Amino acid sequence: MEPLNITFDPSLIDHYSLVITFAGYLIVLGALAIMAYFFTRLHTLQDFLKKRKLGKPGDNEQEQKTKVVMTGEENAAIAAALYLFFSELHDEEKYVMTIRKVSKTYSPWSSKIYGILNTMKHW
Amino acid sequence: MNTLQTLLGLWEDTGFYNATWENIIMILVGIILVFLAIRYSYKPLLLIPLGMGVILGNIPFLHGAAYHPGIYQEGSVLNYLFFGVLKGIYPALIFLGLGAMTDLSPLISNPKLMLLGAAAQVGIFVTFLGAMVLGFPMAESAAIAIIGGADGNTAIFLTSQLANGLHATGNGMVIQNLIGPIAIAAYIYMSLVSVIQPPIMKLLTTKKERLIRMKPPRTVSKFEKILFPLLGLLLSAFVAPASLPLLGMFFFGNILKESGLTKQLANTASTILIDIVVILIGLTVGASTQADVFLKWQSILIFVLGAFAFMVATAGGIMFAKVMNLFLKKENRINPLIGASGVAAVPDSARIAHEMGLREDPTNHLIGHAMAPNIAGLIGSAIAAGLLLGFLL
Repeated sequence: MEPLNITFDPSLIDHYSLVITFAGYLIVLGALAIMAYFFTRLHTLQDFLKKRKLGKPGDNEQEQKTKVVMTGEENAAIAAALYLFFSELHDEEKYVMTIRKVSKTYSPWSSKIYGILNTMKHW
Repeated sequence: MNTLQTLLGLWEDTGFYNATWENIIMILVGIILVFLAIRYSYKPLLLIPLGMGVILGNIPFLHGAAYHPGIYQEGSVLNYLFFGVLKGIYPALIFLGLGAMTDLSPLISNPKLMLLGAAAQVGIFVTFLGAMVLGFPMAESAAIAIIGGADGNTAIFLTSQLANGLHATGNGMVIQNLIGPIAIAAYIYMSLVSVIQPPIMKLLTTKKERLIRMKPPRTVSKFEKILFPLLGLLLSAFVAPASLPLLGMFFFGNILKESGLTKQLANTASTILIDIVVILIGLTVGASTQADVFLKWQSILIFVLGAFAFMVATAGGIMFAKVMNLFLKKENRINPLIGASGVAAVPDSARIAHEMGLREDPTNHLIGHAMAPNIAGLIGSAIAAGLLLGFLL
């Protein structure tokens, strides 16, 4: 290996290298700052356009007031339907458990005594 | 020619005859890299090709022989594969894959975090001056400084253009081939993020700052996701045209992903293609560390400067986040830990910021926020590389 030859000479930094350093860093910072600014504004613009599309608060209410006219009979019919529907619902069960005992009646067909192994023993 | 002469000639052709202690050291380095990767699962995707490349590049052979096995010998197989490094083809293809796999939503949802990625590039420019003070020519200084960008591909790209052993300075001094040492330093520091960054993060932040909770990121529309790569491409290409091979490919890959219509292209770029290129870049960069090029005292200096660049970049991001907090409303404040993610080691440095945040408060998840400066760092370091190329070529 060649012998180590370390110099420490700040005078090696010339004018051009300083320009590269500062201009380079500022350009990187500037380029990303422009993108950051653009996308912040873009989001604000998108929000604005969305709100504009939806219209001012109260616009739709006014529209509905003029359009929707319901008679008393219709209201009563809807209310009755809703009442019947909700009274049919079972929100809560009774939580009573019923255990029914099932007794098995004896049959030779289900008997263990006459199982196939026992038959084998007789042979 | 008698039998003895033939056998002697054969012996002189072998690696045993031509081996030097430098070759042996480098082969051992290669074996250690492979061992670390296999035994401790330490970055195997990176270290196995790299380690095998180091072994391959340092097999001793007779230099005057008719055949040409060395990476620096024109016409050899390795030399052809190395072409992709020398011409900056592999880094560009890796950027394509990165673009196709990167979700830019964290960046778009909180655009001010882009500034952290830009701020961390201070490591590159400070180290540029530092390398010049230590006597490196300007082109070599720029190539060394880019290690501070903490992205191996950007480092290989810039070094292959500026310090490839083919150029000369104005006073006739030949610029050395630094691809091997710089690439190895960049990759090693990228894999040592978890060792280098936490002490600096802890040193520069208070417990109160590390506990800052950030607002959850907003939902990003498809329109914004498509607009970002288009605008990013135009802006970076206009500001630093030399960064086009990297950022052009990155944003192209991202458009493939975000358009939703070219899924198979995005999939290929982000899986098969990037895997092939990682194999080739790892192997050839490893092989470029031929002992006579790599084993120099200068390589040690490059490693020291690289570590310095990395540390300054980390500190730069954190300090900038703290400065930004002075101007932000309380509910919009930034956890300065994510400033450290401004170095481009994607996604390792974002993960470190997240883990550091969790250590202070197990319910404070910073990964979503930290990815923003991390990606901005990748873009920022590529712009910086393009600017340095523009200034120095």
